[in-house]
Amino acid sequence: MSARNRYQIAFFALGWLIAFGILFQMGVGSGFHSLYDAVNDRLRRLAQRFSDSEGNAVRDVRGSSRTDYLAPLRPTLSTVNGLKNPPTMLFGVYDGGLPNTFAGMDRLESRVQYKFPIISCYVAWGDKPTEKFPTRLVETINRMGSVPMITWEPWVVDFDETLRPNLPKRPEREYASLASIARGDYDFYIVEWAKAAAAFGKPMFLRFAHEMNDPYRYPWGPQNGNRPDDFIAAWKHVHLVFQKMNATNVLWVWSPHISMPWFEYYYPGADFVDWVGIGVLNYGTIASWSRWWSFHQILEKAYPALMKLEKPIMICEFGTLPAGGDEYEWYRQAFYHIDHTYNRGIRAVVFFNQEYDITMSSAPLNWSLLQDQRAAGYVAQALAAHSGL
Amino acid sequence: MASVRPWSDDAEIFRHRRAAPVHTWERWLLGVMLFLGAQSVFYFATWWFRTEHVNNLPLFILLSGATWYGIVRLMVGWYNAFHVEQPDPVVAPDGLSVAIFTTSAPGEPYDMFVRTLAAAREVTYAHTTYLLDDTGDARFAQLARDMGAVHMELIGIPGAKAGKINAALERTTEEFILVLDPDHIPLPPFLDRVLGYFADPNVGFVQVSQAYYNAGESFVARAAAEQTFAFYGPILQGMNGTGTAVAIGANCTFRRQALQSIGGHGLGLAEDLVTSIRLHAKGWKSIYVPEVLSRGLVPSDLQSFLRQQLKWSRGVHEVLFREYPRAFRDLSGHQRISYLMIGSYYLVGLTTLIYLTIPLLYLWAGKQPAAFFLSEYVQHAAPVGIFGILIYQFAQRWFCDPDRERGFHWRGTLLKIGSWSVFLQGFVLSVVNVAVPYIPTSKERKRGNFWRLARVPLTVLIISVLTAVWTVFRQLFVVPEAEVRITTEVTAGMLLFLICNTVLMSGRIYAAWADRERVDE
Repeated sequence: MSARNRYQIAFFALGWLIAFGILFQMGVGSGFHSLYDAVNDRLRRLAQRFSDSEGNAVRDVRGSSRTDYLAPLRPTLSTVNGLKNPPTMLFGVYDGGLPNTFAGMDRLESRVQYKFPIISCYVAWGDKPTEKFPTRLVETINRMGSVPMITWEPWVVDFDETLRPNLPKRPEREYASLASIARGDYDFYIVEWAKAAAAFGKPMFLRFAHEMNDPYRYPWGPQNGNRPDDFIAAWKHVHLVFQKMNATNVLWVWSPHISMPWFEYYYPGADFVDWVGIGVLNYGTIASWSRWWSFHQILEKAYPALMKLEKPIMICEFGTLPAGGDEYEWYRQAFYHIDHTYNRGIRAVVFFNQEYDITMSSAPLNWSLLQDQRAAGYVAQALAAHSGL
Repeated sequence: MASVRPWSDDAEIFRHRRAAPVHTWERWLLGVMLFLGAQSVFYFATWWFRTEHVNNLPLFILLSGATWYGIVRLMVGWYNAFHVEQPDPVVAPDGLSVAIFTTSAPGEPYDMFVRTLAAAREVTYAHTTYLLDDTGDARFAQLARDMGAVHMELIGIPGAKAGKINAALERTTEEFILVLDPDHIPLPPFLDRVLGYFADPNVGFVQVSQAYYNAGESFVARAAAEQTFAFYGPILQGMNGTGTAVAIGANCTFRRQALQSIGGHGLGLAEDLVTSIRLHAKGWKSIYVPEVLSRGLVPSDLQSFLRQQLKWSRGVHEVLFREYPRAFRDLSGHQRISYLMIGSYYLVGLTTLIYLTIPLLYLWAGKQPAAFFLSEYVQHAAPVGIFGILIYQFAQRWFCDPDRERGFHWRGTLLKIGSWSVFLQGFVLSVVNVAVPYIPTSKERKRGNFWRLARVPLTVLIISVLTAVWTVFRQLFVVPEAEVRITTEVTAGMLLFLICNTVLMSGRIYAAWADRERVDE
């Protein structure tokens, strides 16, 4: 056989293959996809079953576990209604090592002799695998006896242009992105998340498009032509999709930037929000735009407006940098004000235990509480006094 | 019909065979499978090379190198299958002057020569057989005379077998020379089936299949033979299709003029490959005849096998580093690919080392090359594996002796991976340029010390068991609970990886055990 014949046959084989491929796409394609998803699901379940038996073995040999430690809070943590109005203050932690490692959180927990009932993480929108609903992570957090909180950031530019031909090109996508979310342009993504959240089924906090009123920070801010009404419409739309997909296990955390004005105008309404979330981070003297602010100084102006919403308040990001002041004193005063000045509103505090934060400055910032042993010792005492454990 | 005991029926074994012809429908089906295979590789590649998969860059590069080395080799196998081409038989014209060269070295068993020389006498096409002898043993000279062969005493000539061939070339005049390894028993039609191709004046050498009669003798013999079936089947037939068929020391018939054009047979540990790359660089054509025209011996004990592999590994790397760059300019595109692939065959020693190291690095030092779970890897790599197996099994229809050769060649695979340390040794020796002595591969089954033969795989086994025990202990008692829970899947995946590696070492351990020295012997 001549080489020419051989290539001819190969060429026609390709033709047949394409013909079969089209038939395949039309008929069996979806079947293949569901088979694929089923295999994936089965593998994940297998891994979870393995994880469970490993967790049981660890508990058996150590005679204790995180779940046992958090058992007194179980009635609160295991139901959506319990979490809507917790009887005791809930504490939480965010650690920069997620979703790969809990090493940083472990160090913090062992230093302060406490296990946090809320574990916070951040996930961006997009087509990357890391931007899918983090089922593995939330399952793991749940199996550790805690409740996950996902800060869900609509970075719409992360969607692939070739995969999503119906979306505008990347540079144009960020302008008025909240309106397009409200229109349903991103439902392909939101629906998948809602389904996965419903499949998870256990209570979880979802903090969508936080700091939406800050024009200097995220692309979903007002600088990109996103008006308060657009935000509210987007929020309600996302909320609706989750309801339709039966993701009623989600607690909605509405989280404005309290140092920026007019945040009240972004409130979607009592029916769509379960918690009000705020960030109280003291940047100290790391930059020209910052100075040493106490917890009270950051919160006092906004607090009355927040209280009017009649929702429990969560400090979703709580911490201070060491530069320019005394960390111990900052935490001591913060807990004093949490107990006395703001005791009617604040129901949860999530420590921002990020050792390597590069979102605000070129040099990484270290928010870890463990830098100051006195401060860490004080926080340990405060947690013991407040935890209800 | 296939014999029930395929390796015990001599009449069946020593029969002239030719690989089944390639039908057009087979090419169609193969074409479809190759496209699907290529697509599965593409699918795997788009998944593998994602920036978010990089966890530890240097390790990721190493792991990618090992993985893609394997996949590229697989695809080159497919490319060969695509080009499978069998030459039509050409009748040998009368009156060609032909010599058969066979060599003997001290220590080689006398009985083997009795059989080989007797068989050479029975080869029907008129020829002269020469025994190139450096044993200094009078029995060999007598044997040659009894068998109607010319005895040529060639003692103390450097360059081992190839040196003797070159010396004999100077003393003879035949136009065509069949180099026959002494363990190979030629079948009567041998020369009739190959000489016809020399009608084309550009054909420099004609290679035939290399088959064995002792493959049923032991696990190692079986495994070593299994490693060659595909090569003498679809691979060399594909190389024939691309004009890259190589000379394999034994059973190759050369045109004297071709050998003279490169200054004689090449020397070195991979003398056959040296000769063939030089001939190709000079523009000579080669033909591969997919026929069983002789049967020889395959190493039947682990020690001989490992020695042979070390010799080849060292020799092949020598070709890759020395001959290949020199010949590169004069080779055709197909030949460049082909010799690069042959030259890098033994790099599998290096990639196996990488595979063995990766789970250990994670379980002891927490270093993880890639940020994906084993389950995701399996999901994306499975199509490549499935098409690899399907195409391999399909291409077995072109094996030269399917009755004895078809099957899942797990023995060959296990022994190949188990021999990684020897391949690696050959690679390192050629990088630092240390010589390996040329010793002809043993023709008899030898026994060796189990502990010495199995040292490497046993070390791997012990390290793996210790690592597994330590990991379970650490997960249960030492690592903080939260960390146990979040790393559970990665740790389990790495443990599985470790166990797979250990299982892959089992072939060599078993072979060492089967060949161990016994007190009663």
